[in-house]
Amino acid sequence: MTVSGLPKISTGRNGVGAFILQCKKLNFHYCDWAGSSKGMNTFIKTLLPQFAAAHPQIEIVVSPRPRKHPVIVGQYINGRERNVCVKNMEPLRILQRAKYLRDASGEKVKRVNKPVQSINESVRGVWSPYHGNGMAV
Amino acid sequence: MSRALLCSVLELRAPAATASSMRPCTLQLQTRLFNQTAAHIEPTMASSLPPAPPSKPRRDYGKMAPPKKILPNPPRPRVPTGPTTPPPTGPLNPSVRTLLPLLASQPGHYLSVHIHGRPYLVTEGDSIRLPFRMRGVEPGDVLRLNRASTVGSRDYTLKGEPWVDERLFECRAIVTGSETEPMRVKEKTKRRNRRVVHKFSKHMYTMLRISEVKICKDVVEVEQA
Repeated sequence: MTVSGLPKISTGRNGVGAFILQCKKLNFHYCDWAGSSKGMNTFIKTLLPQFAAAHPQIEIVVSPRPRKHPVIVGQYINGRERNVCVKNMEPLRILQRAKYLRDASGEKVKRVNKPVQSINESVRGVWSPYHGNGMAV
Repeated sequence: MSRALLCSVLELRAPAATASSMRPCTLQLQTRLFNQTAAHIEPTMASSLPPAPPSKPRRDYGKMAPPKKILPNPPRPRVPTGPTTPPPTGPLNPSVRTLLPLLASQPGHYLSVHIHGRPYLVTEGDSIRLPFRMRGVEPGDVLRLNRASTVGSRDYTLKGEPWVDERLFECRAIVTGSETEPMRVKEKTKRRNRRVVHKFSKHMYTMLRISEVKICKDVVEVEQA
């Protein structure tokens, strides 16, 4: 019988070796005319520079989006986007929302029942009737 | 009209004193290693720009309330300084002394780590979704989990009473971020009453990745330390 290697698809496990933040870009859209963008304008002038300096791995883009509510759009490494409307919010609340986007992984929001998710095989092995103590009759 | 005059008067009176009142706001930033490559941090904008010309004085508010501060609170120290139990000392159980090297030499290991009392059966590389949002952590922070009730391999299991000795294993988890659950709605109503209140919930949960699981092989060294 020829000996051959078992083909195995390599799966990335972010954090085991190196950790890479999943959020790669944050777009901050503001409006000079809309009253709902007042908090966002203040946030961009005061809190955003420090947030950007603390996260050099995130590309931060600030651009006007006229006649619309202010919005933060986050783009992730898996190609998905997540957006948060920050209309009528205070600057500190907008910072909280920006942190929420930074912490997200980009995956679709799903209900997860079990806390631990693993791709490893079981350590103690699958039960077999031919091994172990057997059944006492 | 009078306010504009007052402004211009102030401007003429003290142009030199204004520069100090308009300091650029800076916060103490904690530098942390997010990834293995060295991060290139741009110098803060204030230092790279040329010095600003002396700006107009702030409006004299007089009877009006001064503007509210919008800076967040200064960041708290990153390493938690809560009460910690002292590391265990003393000799180990003889069965541990004889069998732990055998446990450690087997290829696969699992731990039943406890975070805030709740057990999670993990191996290396697993991701845990905690049932709460951990405060004071950011993505990239490394947590050393020291509470385990069981350490096992294929043929051997080390059961703690109630905890396994901390010196015998190392388990590190890295915070990968936080996820939310889908929005859920709770309808609140009473019998024979048509009014129904809808309460919306969308909690956030911290995600961890077990980056390292190590069982100590040299039991004698651990005992003497």
